[in-house]
Amino acid sequence: MKYNIICLFNVLLTTFIYAQEKECTLSGVIIDADCKTLPNVSIVIATLGHSSKSDHTGKFSIAGLPQGKHVVVLSHVGYIPEERTITIESTPIDLGTIVMKKTNYAIKQVDVLGEIYATTPAGALNKELVDQQYIHRHLGGSLMQTLSRLPGISNIGIGSGQSKPLIRGLGFNRVVVVEKGVKHEGQQWGADHGLEIDQFAAGNIEVIKGAASFLYGSDAIGGVIDIKPEPLSEKESLSGSLNLIGKSNNDLYGVSANAQGRTENWIYGGRVTYQRYGDYRVPTDTVHVYDYPVRLHKNKARNTAGKELNFHFNGGYATENFETIFYISNNSNRSGFFANAHGLEPRRVDTELHDTSSRDMQMPYQQVNHFKVINRSSLTIGFHCIEMEAGFQHNFRQEYSKYVNHGYMPPVYPDSMKMPSDLERQYDKRVYSLNLRDRFSIGQHTFVAGINGEYQHNRIDGWSFLIPGFNQLSAGAFLYDRYRLSDKVSLYGALRYDYSHIETIKYTDWFPSVVSEENGNSETAYLTRAANLQRTFNSLVWSSGATYNEGDFSMKANVGKSFRVPIAKELAANGVNYHYFSYELGDPALSPEQSYQFDAGLSYSKEKLSLELNPFYNYFSNYIYLNPTPRHDHFYGAGNQIFEYTQSRVQRYGGEIKIGYRFSEVFRTELLAEYVKAEQLSGSKKGYPLPFSPPASFLANMSWQPNTGSLKNSYFSVDLRLVAPQNEIVPPEKKTPGYELVNVQVGHPLMIYGKPIQINLQVQNLFDTKYLDHTSFYRLIEMPEVGRNIVLSLSVPFDFSRKRKS
Amino acid sequence: MKKTKIRYMKSFKKLCLFIILGIFSFSGCKKDNDETTVDNHAPVIDLTGDAFPVQCSTLKRGGSFTFKTKFSDNIELGTYSIDIHHNFDHHTHSTEFEECELQPKKEPVKPFLFIKSYDIPSGQKNYEAVQQIEVSADIDPGDYHFMISISDHVGWSTIKGLSIQIVE
Repeated sequence: MKYNIICLFNVLLTTFIYAQEKECTLSGVIIDADCKTLPNVSIVIATLGHSSKSDHTGKFSIAGLPQGKHVVVLSHVGYIPEERTITIESTPIDLGTIVMKKTNYAIKQVDVLGEIYATTPAGALNKELVDQQYIHRHLGGSLMQTLSRLPGISNIGIGSGQSKPLIRGLGFNRVVVVEKGVKHEGQQWGADHGLEIDQFAAGNIEVIKGAASFLYGSDAIGGVIDIKPEPLSEKESLSGSLNLIGKSNNDLYGVSANAQGRTENWIYGGRVTYQRYGDYRVPTDTVHVYDYPVRLHKNKARNTAGKELNFHFNGGYATENFETIFYISNNSNRSGFFANAHGLEPRRVDTELHDTSSRDMQMPYQQVNHFKVINRSSLTIGFHCIEMEAGFQHNFRQEYSKYVNHGYMPPVYPDSMKMPSDLERQYDKRVYSLNLRDRFSIGQHTFVAGINGEYQHNRIDGWSFLIPGFNQLSAGAFLYDRYRLSDKVSLYGALRYDYSHIETIKYTDWFPSVVSEENGNSETAYLTRAANLQRTFNSLVWSSGATYNEGDFSMKANVGKSFRVPIAKELAANGVNYHYFSYELGDPALSPEQSYQFDAGLSYSKEKLSLELNPFYNYFSNYIYLNPTPRHDHFYGAGNQIFEYTQSRVQRYGGEIKIGYRFSEVFRTELLAEYVKAEQLSGSKKGYPLPFSPPASFLANMSWQPNTGSLKNSYFSVDLRLVAPQNEIVPPEKKTPGYELVNVQVGHPLMIYGKPIQINLQVQNLFDTKYLDHTSFYRLIEMPEVGRNIVLSLSVPFDFSRKRKS
Repeated sequence: MKKTKIRYMKSFKKLCLFIILGIFSFSGCKKDNDETTVDNHAPVIDLTGDAFPVQCSTLKRGGSFTFKTKFSDNIELGTYSIDIHHNFDHHTHSTEFEECELQPKKEPVKPFLFIKSYDIPSGQKNYEAVQQIEVSADIDPGDYHFMISISDHVGWSTIKGLSIQIVE
């Protein structure tokens, strides 16, 4: 607070002196919300086309302006543009101090406890922060593809528009995605199930690399992706934006438009996003599914087109101390699976039908609808800040594929069946969640105490069976403490207790299977695939850490225990997954996964250099793993290889390195490296890694932000990504060769009618390199990744509030 | 006092830089142990020589035939399975390069279905599977798929999908 006053005083003083010196000029000082002066802000007299920029102390002055009324627009990449109407007579005009807010900036700063409200209390764990600007600059096919540029983050991609996160090689149910404070629940267990999140509707994103079970309960054992809502508007404002997106590789066009406003206390807003894309192009004309060569029509991955339509509405009420906001959203998307292989199963397809249009979605395809209602509320009473999130989610996923009689299924789909013959799988999930937290401080302690509860109702349908329906109840309570030992040292501690109960619903095959064969007589029966299983789990986890800051240098360390409750598939799977020719067998006796993790962070930043090193070590006493056995089963497994869920001891270690160096005001470089090694220490796969282990990778970035003349606020940046080969594999994976990729990002703000229109252009995979991604869903059928892709996006901000005011 | 503290801090920072660089160079120099102790080789199905059936082979209904295939693995074979199912709708999934001539599509009435898995004596690197398989006389003749799946001792597996025909 003291610094703020001094800063403000300085600013006032300098502007005063400045204004005194010049005559018939327009002047001012631009600062950001942290009271730091903002250099290189573009100042445009929209009515004249005259432009200037602020200097290194944030000051600007424009001389020789003609008399009359003028519109001044201040804009800077990453900040909300400011607009002022001035009338020049014979005296100089001083606009004084202008505060520019970051576009991603959470305007509500309930800084009661010395921490910004929106920040996740992750203690000494490693975090990566991403804002909307980063998303626009590195826009990938889906949110996780965009985030996978970050060190330690990769994704399991399914075609060009679907993906799910991997943090340091852990994914599926080992990573929690939190949106607007509520855990996002879809069908995380499947490699072909993408994440149902609209990347245009995301505010800031915090990625916690490391086990954060103490905050989010089960599943946060690998990390957390916390997607904040878009920031609230300023009081008495009405603004909006229009984003237009085009991609050359899969002929995507998309639009995302939003409007948000606020009166004194009432908040309202909405967003619509629509994207439609065709089959994606790969740098090859033939793909080999096993030995069978599949010719691709115009280098396109047959039937991988898709579309997405998302709606978001929010409304609420906010005062100084109280805030309640409802968020309603509906995401729906439909996308095709590569038609020549459904998983590993090679298929002969009607090429004439599939190749007629590259934009249609024929079978096999998936259709997913995710509906969400979330209420986020907070109340500040004295030194207590009470926060609440309540949510309802309905995830409805359908996978359509023409009926194929596998194993003992009847050759012709019976007319008597109630479900349609082309509905292969259907998952219907309803989730009710509640989080309640109280943040308060006592002396040097800052506490967060909270409870979480979640109830899941899952039902299945379709002619194929993988996991049974189930109901699951989980509840947890935690206490988190940050203790400020001194200005330099903080200690963290957390303790959490969880209770979880799951009951699976009995499932019996709709067709008879051969169950025994004696003397040539085979006996058949309707097999019961899943029983009415009930399991209850209790867990106690903890975490403790410390941070130390000394000038340019900071250090942190954290050690903690995490857990994960086995999911329905791990407990109760008992069916053939024809996508992988595997007979997957759950183990109803599995115990919750226990993990111990040590994280460290060292960072050094001085003048032009910044260094960051984040190593980790992790030990699982019982990692749950789908283990391919040497056995085949010709009764329940219809002749397929048995894959059974088992637990083994696992150790993982690795880390990330970030180095940044500024050569000059305009040139800078960034080097990012990531490495993770996982090793099974017991069981039949002793010595093997874990599946989906991302290979070591290195990213070198060079960027140029000229900030002069007509290139003001433009950026030009090149990423060189080197990925090592992945030779550490486990059945049924394949070794993946290394590769090099070059991506280019360019951006430039254009002033049209005084409105700054931001243009971002990317060329992904510049040299159209043919490469395989080790963690891609299509890796096992040797499908190369997306070829050269030019991504163009335009964003046009609108601000209606000033007009209304004047 | 303050000076020594600053000097101490400086050397501390240097030390940290060294650690960082050390880890960097270590991880940079570390060789990939490609062939470690673990077995990363899938078993092999050898359809040459007197193997039967092979791609585009023909079986006769109302009799029996001898399935004969050689399997090999670098360490130890696991188990194998055979799955014969109809392909009257030309639905799936040959893994072979060679295309066979198919009969017109048709509706199955009583298609032949054969699913069976077999053990291989333990400790075998090479094994010739020989099985007598009956094809009853009342099944639908036509296009069929003959799937062979072989695993090894750690669960690597290889699948061959052959297109065959069953004739009168």
